[in-house]
Amino acid sequence: MITARYLERRVIYLVITFFIAVSINFFLPRLIPGNPAITILVSRYGNEIKPQELLLVESELNLRGSLLHQYIGYMVSLFHGYLGVSYYYYPATVVSIIASHLPWTLFLLGTATILSVIIGVSIATYIGWRLGGKSDSIISSIAISLGSLPFFWLGLIFQIVFGLMIVINGHHLFPIAHAFSANVYPGFTYSFISSVLWHSALPLITLVLISFPGFTLLMRNTISTIINDDYVQMARAKGLKTWRIKKMYVNRNARLPIATSVALAFGSIVGGAFLVEVVFSYPGIGYMLYESVVTSDFPLIDGIFLIITITVIIANFIVDLLYAFLDPRVVLE
Amino acid sequence: MTETGYIVPDASSSPHFIKKRSPLLEFVIGIWKNGKGKVGMIIYAVMIGIAVFGRLLAPYSPTDVNFPAFQPPSLAHLLGTNYVGEDVFSEFLYGTGVSLTVGFVVAFATMVIGTIAGISAGFLGKVTDDVIMRTVDVLLVIPGFPLLVILSAYLPPTIWSTILILSILSWPFHARVIRSQTLTLKRRAFVLASKLSGLGNFRIIVRDLIPNMLPIIFINSIFVVVGAIVAQAGLAFFGLGNINSVNWGTMLYWFDIEDGILFKAWWWLLPPGLGIMALGIGANLLSNAVSETNGTKRKD
Repeated sequence: MITARYLERRVIYLVITFFIAVSINFFLPRLIPGNPAITILVSRYGNEIKPQELLLVESELNLRGSLLHQYIGYMVSLFHGYLGVSYYYYPATVVSIIASHLPWTLFLLGTATILSVIIGVSIATYIGWRLGGKSDSIISSIAISLGSLPFFWLGLIFQIVFGLMIVINGHHLFPIAHAFSANVYPGFTYSFISSVLWHSALPLITLVLISFPGFTLLMRNTISTIINDDYVQMARAKGLKTWRIKKMYVNRNARLPIATSVALAFGSIVGGAFLVEVVFSYPGIGYMLYESVVTSDFPLIDGIFLIITITVIIANFIVDLLYAFLDPRVVLE
Repeated sequence: MTETGYIVPDASSSPHFIKKRSPLLEFVIGIWKNGKGKVGMIIYAVMIGIAVFGRLLAPYSPTDVNFPAFQPPSLAHLLGTNYVGEDVFSEFLYGTGVSLTVGFVVAFATMVIGTIAGISAGFLGKVTDDVIMRTVDVLLVIPGFPLLVILSAYLPPTIWSTILILSILSWPFHARVIRSQTLTLKRRAFVLASKLSGLGNFRIIVRDLIPNMLPIIFINSIFVVVGAIVAQAGLAFFGLGNINSVNWGTMLYWFDIEDGILFKAWWWLLPPGLGIMALGIGANLLSNAVSETNGTKRKD
């Protein structure tokens, strides 16, 4: 159950987090020494800067007037959906660049998260009933080792092994770059969709292999405590079939902590997805972030940070609300 | 014999008295006696050994480019050479020092900030608790890696900037764990007894709370070590921080930039990742050992 008071508090909290993320975006560029307007002009026209040009670029970048004045101006343009103009892809706006790359990231992130949860939960249900056994210790140690790998390192290994080393009939198993082949056109066609899936295979496997162990280990530990709970003992004493105890009593309860951990894990999967995108030159916003870091395209860096933060905050908010539906005993107030 | 003149049984000769060792030593011995703990400790001992003495063991300078590029492992170059002909084995030995320094400095800073914040929140309660915990909530929900990237992009590219940023961002999780520990310990009889006997807050915290939190502080700190090393490697991979410093992260950065993939230079790619994996496995083993010997669990 969700009370109105709870909802109200969560929304206030959501707004505060949003303002903090926005403020980081506003103050960081202004805290560092040097005038960004001069930097841009020097990089574009050399050392001869005309005062009028400087004035123009400064007002374009919202660098004129008092800090408060700039802050308000920044907020106003933000709520009009304006995040500035990219330095590198000038005159393309930051919003348009992000909009064209965000879908790829959301596709990777969403699919990887869902697959990780499904695989993590299935494996945990399997070993949770064999605690202390051989399969438990083997699978647990594999999970621990996988979970402690850096995402991009595993991505690079997969590129070498499955993208280059293994050759069948003169063909490599998987492509090592881009989201689809150069010879297909985006559209709702079989060739496009199969090309997208084929290209996303290695990035997805990398993300899932590193993300699922967290869920497996969490649920395994939950099962190990639930198994000794009174209501499970009672069910056993009543003589219920083991599969029934498993399905109706233990697994359902052991899945609950997964819901809260998804929200936290989502943040780390975002980081993983960004790095994996760089490894596989996958055209999501993680790859764009990398490009903008390389080209010192600060408006784009700021914009990507803002958009991904908002996405994660909203995802967290939704998971919080879902939790109350998943566990009817929970009263959120 | 004591100053008051009473006869006190000699601890070493009487079977009823066990020599009292310091709690810290007791804690370390407890982990060592646990099978998993022993393996974990050995892994960390070896890694720290490489970090400290690696420079002396390295056969070449890590920036010596007088060798052919992209050589597979051989007797002269145990882990082959990289794109400009630097010896990968020497690079790894030097790099371990930098990577572990990042990990341990960040872990130390995180433990100091997080423990102070967590105990203040749990012990003082009220407004202090609200302010600290709301800050923690906000920092935990902002996705860590993008925040790291944007901060690093604006700060000067040195390894100390990276350490600073990682320290600022890693304490919230630890603070939350310490706060909940403080809340339960606060109600325990021995803390109440100290309170009634008139001890001040500071002494209660130092004498009663912190010693009881040592296991959890220890577990959290080793996970921060690994987390910080992975995060630094991730930042380096994005070309952030000082990319000319030799560490595990920059090894992977140059591998990617200089097409190590196309040369299938696995000897250059494997060492840093396996190093990180060893530390990760070691951390998990140590954490299991601590929870088995001290009855504490790492809260996820």
